[in-house]
Amino acid sequence: MLTIQHLTKHYKGSSKGVTDLSLTIEPGDIYAFIGHNGAGKTTTLKCIAGIHGFEEGEICINGMDLGKDALGCKRSLAYIPDNPDLYEYLTGVQYLNFIADVFQVEAEKREERVKKYADAFEITSSLGDLISTYSHGMKQKLAIISALMHEPRLWVLDEPFVGLDPKASVILKDLMHEICDRGGAIFFSTHVLDVAEKLCNKVAIIKDGVLVASGEMEKIVKPGQTLEDIFMEVIGDGNKTGTD
Amino acid sequence: MGTKLAQTKILTRTELYNIFGINVLRFSKDKRAKRRAVLLLAAYGFLAVMMMFYVGGFSFALGQLSLSEAVPSYLIAISSFFLFFLGILKAGGVVFRKEGYDILSSLPLAQGPIVASRFLRLYIEDLPFALAVLLPGLSVYAYMVKPGGAFFLFGFWAVLLVPILPIVGAVFVSALVMAIASRMRYKSIAVSGLSILVVLAIMAGTSRLSAAGEFSPEMWRDLSGTVFAVLEKVYPPAVFLGRAVVDMDFGKLLLGTVLFALAFVAVAVFVSSCFHRICRSLYGTSAKHNYQIGEMKRSFVLSALVRRELKRYFSSGAYIANTIIGPVMAVVFAGAALVTGTDRLAEFLPIPVDIGGFLPFVLAGIFSMMNATCVSVSLEGKQWWIINSLPLSPKPILDAKILMNVILVLPFYLVSEVMLVLAVRPGLPELIWLILIPAEAILFSSVFGLSVNLRFPVFTWESETSVVKQSVSSLLGGLGGILPVILFGGVAVTAESGKLHVVKAIGSVVILLITVLLYQKNCRTDLKEL
Repeated sequence: MLTIQHLTKHYKGSSKGVTDLSLTIEPGDIYAFIGHNGAGKTTTLKCIAGIHGFEEGEICINGMDLGKDALGCKRSLAYIPDNPDLYEYLTGVQYLNFIADVFQVEAEKREERVKKYADAFEITSSLGDLISTYSHGMKQKLAIISALMHEPRLWVLDEPFVGLDPKASVILKDLMHEICDRGGAIFFSTHVLDVAEKLCNKVAIIKDGVLVASGEMEKIVKPGQTLEDIFMEVIGDGNKTGTD
Repeated sequence: MGTKLAQTKILTRTELYNIFGINVLRFSKDKRAKRRAVLLLAAYGFLAVMMMFYVGGFSFALGQLSLSEAVPSYLIAISSFFLFFLGILKAGGVVFRKEGYDILSSLPLAQGPIVASRFLRLYIEDLPFALAVLLPGLSVYAYMVKPGGAFFLFGFWAVLLVPILPIVGAVFVSALVMAIASRMRYKSIAVSGLSILVVLAIMAGTSRLSAAGEFSPEMWRDLSGTVFAVLEKVYPPAVFLGRAVVDMDFGKLLLGTVLFALAFVAVAVFVSSCFHRICRSLYGTSAKHNYQIGEMKRSFVLSALVRRELKRYFSSGAYIANTIIGPVMAVVFAGAALVTGTDRLAEFLPIPVDIGGFLPFVLAGIFSMMNATCVSVSLEGKQWWIINSLPLSPKPILDAKILMNVILVLPFYLVSEVMLVLAVRPGLPELIWLILIPAEAILFSSVFGLSVNLRFPVFTWESETSVVKQSVSSLLGGLGGILPVILFGGVAVTAESGKLHVVKAIGSVVILLITVLLYQKNCRTDLKEL
């Protein structure tokens, strides 16, 4: 589904970035991406989403090389940033229609999906209002719905649970499972290690732009340990763990 | 009182931290951002130098016409009007800006210091212009009249006072406009519409005043008294300050300082009294929560993108007011041509030209002055990630921005064309040029503006006004679009009448060619690298 090989991305005039990161995400994976602030999580996710270019490496999505067929790759993924800065001058439904138009989603299908997901997240009645009137959580919900409009195979999410109410968090987790059950995959960053541990079958830990651990959750988190223990251990001494 | 002063000091310092991009220059680690900040300063510097040379030459010419005494008053009036008109389009966005309002209102700050700090920001922004206009003029005056060293002290003192009244006036008008617009449904459109109406009304009023009393262009060239009489009618403070400088009258300047400061305080108090009320009305949000999902329609990608661009455009008063003023002026110009006749317009041109033959360039020039595309990429701001994460190549994204500009300008273009055709009643060749050259100029300035903005985008801005009025893109994109028109218009003016068609034909082909080349280059831009 997603193969990252030797990804290297550095910002001009800054030491921050990502160095030689390799990772493989299979269909059905819910893959957590954890690390301290400024570790390079968002940079990696933005590279996958085609928002950032990168100096070295290769990213393949659904067998398509992002460097060669960026549009093809983008058609099969959906990205949600950590801070949902949406077009505040549009209403919720105008925004969803815009995204659906770009992905050329059939009218009937978009209606059906908007109804299904907006009802689930309980924001249907607000879809006619300007996004500028939305709370952070509502924007996050709208961003999630927009990311579902074209039924992506790969979901790339940056801190998706931030701002969501408990009920919406549960719905999002259900949606993640639903996508994986359909043969899709999720790659998301989070600071909530409990959620990552319970929800994901795989995890990657990044420290100062370098992947220090990755692989199946149960292989990384041994019985009697928690993901938090592993995270503190790995972030503390930087020893590489895992198999990916 | 002491607390308010301290608050004003803190807020003013914060306002000025990144004025003219200085903070980026000092602290940014992004080399491109630094380069842009340097370029912005260099562009301002270049314009200031050009202005100084122009004003110096102009003042010298006035001196040669025995009008030295009127130079200070004249330049004070000119710079005041310029700052006032620009201020009307800018002040609202600075004083009542939305960005950071929530944080500011949550802090224990009085309204007065907030308003005063924003006034002072406007003052610091406008002062370099006053200096660039007045210092060379006063220097030329000193060179010609030799009033003694103390003159420069008086002159400098007066220059410091010049921006105050235009800012006070502009903020007052903006506050009224904002207060009225805040009660309307489509606030951004109301703000820009009212601002433009006020500018046009004041322009009409001042031109009526200056034309009163059988005044003709020849008279002001010859009579110093006539100049003072006109200035006295149009803007008495200019004469008051100008005479105080020429006479080196300490008492008058002191009185002027006190009066200007009182005007400043009065308007600051007035604006402070309604600052939060206006901001809350402007930026307060109301949601209906009554949406029911109905039929959803699918449309083409390009039309979805254009619709989005138009919604973006009409959501920002600063964006509308600063970019639609050119097309509005074009309609005003065409209307004036229709009402007064083109011969009357020709009288106001500095050199005798065949106005009929020159009209396509005049209209093209007005339309090219400032376009919506030259800041359209920057105004994507923090939402730029959306476009970048979507499966879109640069072409439809950029086409939508060009189309948006064309759609906005089109009604103004058509109305201007119809009025000018009725006014001039041109033959077939002239008719073709009159239609073709402005149309090409609109297209060129749209594409050129986009090229500039792709080269100098700024996505992390503090207010829309700073992007629309003070960015490298607005400066280069807004002014640069007019260059080919000036170039070929200049050649056309000097060309023999028989060769006018050749000049226009060459000009048309060259402008079209550059437009196509720039367009192709734009479409090859890697948007994620911006």
